[in-house]
Order: sequence, then structure tokens, then C-alpha cells
Amino acid sequence: MVRIKHRYLLINILYPSKAPNFSTKDDIPDVIQFRAPTPDNFETGVLLRMIKEGVNELYGDYGLGMIAGSLKIIYLSAPTSTAIIRVSRDHYRLVWTALTMATRLPKPVDLPCVIQVVRTSGTIRKAEEEAIRRAKASIVRSKQSAQTNGSVGIDILRDFNLVGRYHQPSPAPNIRDGPTNHDSSESEVQID
Amino acid sequence: MSSTTPQSNNTSSRKRKAPIAGNNHRPHKYARLNNARKISSQTSDKAFSEGNLNVDKFVKAREYEIKALEDGLRKSKAVLSQRAFQDVPKDLRRRTASHNVKWIPKRLRPRAAKEMVEDNTPTVTARRRKPSTHQRLRLETAKRLQKLSVKSKERRQEKKAQQSEAEVKVSVEGEEPKQASPALSVCKPRVKMATLKTAPIPKAKFKKRQIHKTWLPTHLWHSKRAHMTPPKEPLWRFALPLTPTAKCYRTTHRATTQRGAVAWDMSYMSTIGLDGPEKSIEGLLKALGVGADGDGSGAWGKSGLKWRQGTRTWEGWLHEREEWPAKRIAPATVIWNAKTQPEEDVLVAKGEDAPPNKSKENRKVSIRVHPAGFMQLWEQVIRLGKVQKPTVTVEDLRFEIGSIEISGPNAAEALVGILHPESLAKGGTDMGNLDGAHDIWHYLSNQSPSSLPPNILLAFEASDPRLRHPPRTIQSPADLDTQKRIRQICTTWPLDSNPRPATLFERSNRLKSQRSLPSQKSINRRKTLADPGQYPKSRPNDPKIPTLVFASRGNTATAGTWTILLPWKCIEPVWRSLMYYPLAIGGSVRFGGVREKRQIAFESGSAWFPGDFPGTKAGDEWELQEKVKRKAEWEKRPKGRRVEWDSLDLGMGRKGEIGTGWACDWQILGPKPTEADADVKEIFFESLPRSFAAQLVAGKSTESIHPPHALITVEITMITKGVPQTCARIYRLPTANIDLRAKWLAQVPTPASKRPSVKKAPTLRRPGADAPLAEHKGYAAALIMVATPSQVGSADYPPVPDEDDLIGFVTTGKFNLGEGKGSGIASLLLEKVVVPNTLVSGEDHTALKKEHTLCIVRDAGQSIGRLAKWELAL
Repeated sequence: MVRIKHRYLLINILYPSKAPNFSTKDDIPDVIQFRAPTPDNFETGVLLRMIKEGVNELYGDYGLGMIAGSLKIIYLSAPTSTAIIRVSRDHYRLVWTALTMATRLPKPVDLPCVIQVVRTSGTIRKAEEEAIRRAKASIVRSKQSAQTNGSVGIDILRDFNLVGRYHQPSPAPNIRDGPTNHDSSESEVQID
Repeated sequence: MSSTTPQSNNTSSRKRKAPIAGNNHRPHKYARLNNARKISSQTSDKAFSEGNLNVDKFVKAREYEIKALEDGLRKSKAVLSQRAFQDVPKDLRRRTASHNVKWIPKRLRPRAAKEMVEDNTPTVTARRRKPSTHQRLRLETAKRLQKLSVKSKERRQEKKAQQSEAEVKVSVEGEEPKQASPALSVCKPRVKMATLKTAPIPKAKFKKRQIHKTWLPTHLWHSKRAHMTPPKEPLWRFALPLTPTAKCYRTTHRATTQRGAVAWDMSYMSTIGLDGPEKSIEGLLKALGVGADGDGSGAWGKSGLKWRQGTRTWEGWLHEREEWPAKRIAPATVIWNAKTQPEEDVLVAKGEDAPPNKSKENRKVSIRVHPAGFMQLWEQVIRLGKVQKPTVTVEDLRFEIGSIEISGPNAAEALVGILHPESLAKGGTDMGNLDGAHDIWHYLSNQSPSSLPPNILLAFEASDPRLRHPPRTIQSPADLDTQKRIRQICTTWPLDSNPRPATLFERSNRLKSQRSLPSQKSINRRKTLADPGQYPKSRPNDPKIPTLVFASRGNTATAGTWTILLPWKCIEPVWRSLMYYPLAIGGSVRFGGVREKRQIAFESGSAWFPGDFPGTKAGDEWELQEKVKRKAEWEKRPKGRRVEWDSLDLGMGRKGEIGTGWACDWQILGPKPTEADADVKEIFFESLPRSFAAQLVAGKSTESIHPPHALITVEITMITKGVPQTCARIYRLPTANIDLRAKWLAQVPTPASKRPSVKKAPTLRRPGADAPLAEHKGYAAALIMVATPSQVGSADYPPVPDEDDLIGFVTTGKFNLGEGKGSGIASLLLEKVVVPNTLVSGEDHTALKKEHTLCIVRDAGQSIGRLAKWELAL
């Protein structure tokens, strides 16, 4: 039986400049500002359009044709600025580049941002597990940085440097027993 | 999410009818699936009410996300499209189970039924399935034939009725009718000796399918569960199971070495019966090479006494007449039937001072041999039987005696569980008296052939196993007293002191047991009459199946095999019971085909007859057959995808494969044909016995190699990596090119080179003149340190030696599950591997002797050779 193979990209939308549309006090830790929620008018349609436009700009009609059939937003959560995007396995790099090159969310939102692909996986399940792991880690980190009065910790830098499929070491031991933390690839973490 | 079109409802050509409108489950199903796969998410407004961004809300938003994702994972798993029949363990799955819930375990049946409705799968029963075109044709023919047979039967009966009427008239007119004899005495049939038997005539229904071959007694059972030999290519004139249909390579390995058991129907093994005075039989067997390798103490000396008494078996190779050690025929098992003991003297069995009239009594011997070597042996035995004075009568017992082999740790348990000696079945055993096989039989359930005395033989009469079907797991003896008794039995082996003749040797017993086998119908009737949970009671006219059991040890602790010899027609009921015996460790006995037999031999490092014995007639025929198969396989591939033998680069400017690539080309091992004699004669190679070869290889035997072109069977163990394949070429270390030899020797891993080199060694620098002594010493040591072996593929990896150094071929080679790495069974030309006599006389040649067993293995069609070690195989 022929199976259509996909890749699932787990992305985070980051706001390095300023938290969008939300009133912020000055003592908000940078961790949180950095990962601020996205406004509600950023919907799946907007994300799709953004990707398609990006691919079209970079790869023209060819690129668009290659990804258009399989592109789908599996999950989009505006308050956490996280999404899972499905794309065909052969052309997921086109989407990845388009996301990396994006500097602004498109019109109705219209905010400067950085989009980070944190995980590519062959199944939704693994992408979801990674999202859970990261959410847990970021809870811990935000609590920690709130206690240390919002100084820019090494955590952010480390987080920022995490690329692609590399897993991040969990900062606190208490979440190590989470269901997704048993990956053997944890030892492969590279921070450079 | 579109439902199937309702228009197609009335078109009858559709295989599956569209679901009825009212009972439309499919959209519902997809909606459910879609729903389950959706992951819920919040809106930012809700999460951060009033547009406030703070730590608390940030954390709350993540917590919601975690919950939503975990929920999604769980939900999507719950609706995963796994059908009920996919939950059944792999070896219990049936293809029909996906069409009919009746084939699914009860526990899963309701779920399966629901799924079938949901998926709109029609329930199919074989009875109601519409026959395919081909099937329909066959059915129609069958129907027509049935009609014809009914008609002819009627006609015959009419005729019979007319005849009997006429007879009655005659008898009435004449004197009184003769009285039928009250007891039908079995007329002793005259058996033609020294003629080949034909297979039993099959039922008319199956006759056409057995024209050029014979079916095993369990053929119908096997053909449903195994890949059989193709109809046009029987193996040794039998339709044999090659391998079970279910994948079983690893499970067979486990079942024979760790837990479980594997059984084979070995009824294709040939049996030859000898009958004559002991001296004549002894002469015949000696001429065949039985006990020729021992120096008087072997089979014919004191240690062979038990064998000749008929309480042990002898296993070994038979040779052509007076040709030992050349002209090997096949490995065989020779069994003597014990003498009938006179009532008064039991002591006779122990001493050699038998009364004179004893020697005149005829003895019986049976030789069990592989069918590949049967014809060759048969001719020899016939001729030898006539030569003896007084002569030995020879009988072909091929289709009269069948056999089952079973090996594995739980083999004995299964055997004891299904075979019940008659006297045991009748009443309890007397604990004190252990002189018959039937008394000690049930004590053997935990034993393996290697824990018992070597080559033991048990003869008894078993009851019909169908009366105890389905078999029940036997309780293994646990109490200390029984344990002690078992130990005592294993050490003293009481059967040796009291040999009793085996009933299987008597033709009348075999026939009687076969004829008195009740029909399945009558057994079923008896079973229904029996009390619930009870086996039916035995009756005096139940068959007594003459059984002969012997154990043969393998070369490893677990490789032992039990063999049971039974009358041909009794194999099937015993086999069916054996296959359903529930082992105490769980599971049942597995079955194997020819390939499994070969696999087991390979994994225990022993050679398999005939495939691994080139140089015997059977082995050469096998190779010829395999060669054709391999060639066909090669030719089947398109040109771009097959090995081009001619363009193979062997390094050092040599091109092309040596000999034919798809064959073990023994002929090229012979002397090179010179220009003068254009017509090259085919060389006949000789396979040598192991004990004889061992002496020659070690150079202990002073005589020159006899016969010429002798082959020895060896086991190949890879020293480095690599898996040798069948037909791989084997070289010795280069003899002409000394540099190349040194390079190959450097490939032998030393303890130093085995260590993984994590860091690169620092570059050596000569210490200054004023450096301490230790530094100088270290430098010197580093200089002479063994270089690490070069990697395969690197420029300095040594090329293979020349064709002159080719010594043999691998006959079986693959990954060995027993060893955990590749290994092989090969045959080598003895002339090329013998240690020169000059070396043996010298004193310090241990290194050279070690090198002597090194060889280089190169797969056919590959240019890379790999270092290996050989030793004589069993």
C-alpha cells in the first residue's frame, strides 16, 4: 500500500522587539515578552497565506505548486504562539525557508516577528509531544525568571539557539519525569 | 466527509453494496474521527483578558495548551483505525478472520462485529462464496463424475445381487454351506526380499497428484501450513514441506535452543531391513565401513556391545564396499534388534558365553538412511548380502516405517505427553521394577539426549494417541523421591541389562497395528460415550503401535534430537497429537521443513547431508541441482542489475571471477589442464571421514594422502567482520607473495588493535639525547607496536591471493543466530591445507600451525576478502 508521507513542523512565533498589542509592565520578564501571545486575528488562513506568499516569493510558482497540495495547519494556538504545520515530506524545506525568512506577520496582524521551526517530525504525535515538552519547560523558566526579577537569563539565549530537531535539556529536574522526556537523543543536545 | 453515492445501490456488479440509507454509519465514523483529531485551542483574548500580559496568565495559557495537546493525543489514539482482528497475536491471525467474526477470539467478537457493520464489510463463509471460474469448472466436473460413479455403483450392486441369488439357489440344492472359520487368522504374506518397494497406493482422489512422487503420511496437514516442493520438482522423489508458511527463522532458533521444540515428519528417510545370522550381518556392516575408524575398541569391541545387544544405536557414515575411507555414501543409523530371551536365563545377556544354539538364531538389523543416498546404499547392501555366508536377506522398508524427529529443550516432554506405552495405559506401573522401556518412559519427560546415556534406544508399544486427543500437559515430577529415581535411571540405564526385542522389527506387528487403527468416526463415538473430562476407556482390541524411540546427541548441549520410528500409517495420528500438545512452558510444538533442518544443523556448527558434502554422490547431485537454480536466478535479473562476473576486479591487475560465479566450481580446484591434453577429464572429488581427515590435517599420518582430490568439510568462523555467503571462495594465506601474506597476517586482530582508538596517537618524535631512559624505551616500544589492521575499502587493504591459493568453497553461509555473527560450512581441498611434514617434525612452529588454519573468504562476485578461521566440522 502506498502511504503519503508528510512532515510536521512545530513552530514558535517569537517577538524579539516588543510584545504586541498587550499592555506590559516593565517588570515583565524577557522570557515572557519574547514569547508573547499573538493577537486573535492571526488565524489559520492568515498563516497559510503567509507561508504561500513566502514560498511564492522564494521559489516562485514551482515552489507553490509543490507545497500547495499538502499544506495544512494541524494546530494553531494564538495565546502560546505555537503551531503545527503539515507539509509533504519531499518539500518541507521550502516551507521551512519561507518561515525562516518571514520577518512580519501579514496584514491583519502586521507585527514584526521571528518564526522558529523547533521540530520537524514524521508524525503529528511526536510534534505534539515536543510541543508539550516545550510548554512545560517554558512554564518552569518563566517562573524562575519571575523570581530573579526578569533579568535576561542564559535560558533565553539557550532557547533562542535551539534549532531544528535538537532537543533541549530540561532546566529543572522536576519535569524530567514528564512523558516526553525519555528521548535518548537528549544527550545529543548541541549548544553552540 | 462525503458519503458514498446511493445510486450504485442497485448495480449488482459492485463487490460491496453501498450501505443502506437508514443504516449509514460511515459519515458518522468520519465525523467522529475528525472530531477526535482536532486539538482545541484558546483565543488570546480569553487567555489574557484585558490585554494584560503577566506571568500568571502566561503560565495558565501554557497549561491549557499542555492539557489540550495531551487530550488530543489520547483521543486520536482511541479512534486509531485498528481493527479487532489486528489485536489477535500474530501467529493466531487468520486471513478469514477479516471476513467472518466467527474466526476471531470470543473476547473480541462483539467489537469485530460492530466494526464490520461500520466498515460495510460483508460476512463471507466459504460455503456460500460464489465459486470463481476455475473453481466452478472443477466443481462441475466433480459433480458429473459423482453422477457417473453413482450409476456404475448401482449397476455393480445389481450384478452382485443377481449373483448371490444364484449362489443361494445352488447351495440350497447342494450340501450344507461351509462354515466360516471363527477366528480370521492373518495369513502370513510372502514378502519379496531384495526388491524395491513401491509407495502405498493412494486414494483415487489423490492418485493423479502422486505420479512421480510420494506424499508423506502427513501431507494434507503440511500442505495447508507449509511451502511444499513445487509439483514438478519433488525432492528425493517426495513432496516435502520446505518451510512453514509463517515466518519462523528466529522462532525456530529459539525453539531449538532456548524454549520449546521443533518437530519434523521425517518419513521420507529410508529404512533397510537386514535379516540373517549375527556373523553375516557383522561382515556386511564391516564391509560398509561401520566401526572402521576405531582400532578394535569401537563398534565391534567392548564398547559396541550394548549396540549389538540392541539397546543402543550407532550413528555414522556408511561407505561403499571395502572402500573406507573413500566412497562415502551417507550418514546412517544402524539398529540391532535384541534377541528374544529364553525364559530361564536372564544372565546370558550380560556375559558373552552364550549357548551355542544362540549364534544360529537370526538377528535383525535396520539401517536408517537419507533418501539421497538410499539407492547407492541399496545396491551395495544387496550385493554384500549375497556375498555373506550364510546370506543376509535384505528388505526395503521404505514405505512401511515412518519417522518423526523432534528437537529442542521441551522435546522429551511432548513425546512423553503423547506416547503412552500400552502396559502403562492399562494399569499403574510397579515402582520397584524398571526393566522395560514402558516403565521408564514417563520418567524421561525432563531429559534431553545429552543428559541421558549416549545413543539410547527404547522400544515399546504405544496406545492410539487419538484416544487421548486433545493431549493434556503432563505434570513434571517434583517430589524428591522421583527425582532420585530419575537420576538413578540416567546413570544406570536399566534397559542395558535387559534387552528386549522391538516389535517394530516384526512385519506382522506393523501390519496388525496399521490395520487395527479404528476410524476417526468410531473414536469420536467412543469419546462421546466417555464421561465428561475423561478419555475413552481402552479396549482389548485397540491397536498397539510398535514404537522405537532413540535419542541422538548433537555437538552442543541443546542440539540433541529424538527420533521415533513408527509404522507408516501410524505417523499421521501421532503427528496430529504432537502438534496439539500444550507444552508446560506455554505454546505448542512447532514444525519445520527441510530448510529448518538445515538451519538447525548450521547453527550448531555441523554439516547437513547432502548439501554440505560435495564429494559424495548425493552431495554432488545436490550441488548440480542448486547450481541450475542459482543460474536461473541470475539470468532472471536484467543485465544492469546482475553481477557481471567477467568485469570483477580482484586487484593487482586480475579480472574476472574464478570459475562460474553461481556455482561451487570444484573442477577449478583440480590440476590446470595443459595445452597438450585438450580433452579435460572431469575430476571426482572424495569426501573424507572426519577422524581420518583430522589425522591427515595435523600431519600425524605418515602415509600420503589417499585418495587424491580429497575434500574435508569444515566450519568457517569469521575473525573480523563479514558474513560469508553460499558459493564464497576460500583462499589460504598467500604462499607465493610473501609481502601479501604479511599484509594479511597484519589483519589478525591483536589485543592492542582491538582496543578502540578514540584519540589519534600523537606523532612520534625521537627523544633528545639527554632525555631520560624511560622516554627512549617508550619510543622504541612505539616503533615496534603492531600497526592497526587496515579498514576494508582503504587503499592499503590487502587484495585476495592468487587462484593457486584457492582451497575451497562455502556450501552454506549466512548470519548465524547461534553465534551472533556470520559463519559458514565449507569444503576444502585437503592437499592444499595439509601441514607439510617438515613442519611437524620441527619444534617451534606453533605460530605457523596457527596460521595454517587461517583462510581468506571472498563472496562470489565481490572483490573484498575477509580473514576467517577453519576447523573440521562434525
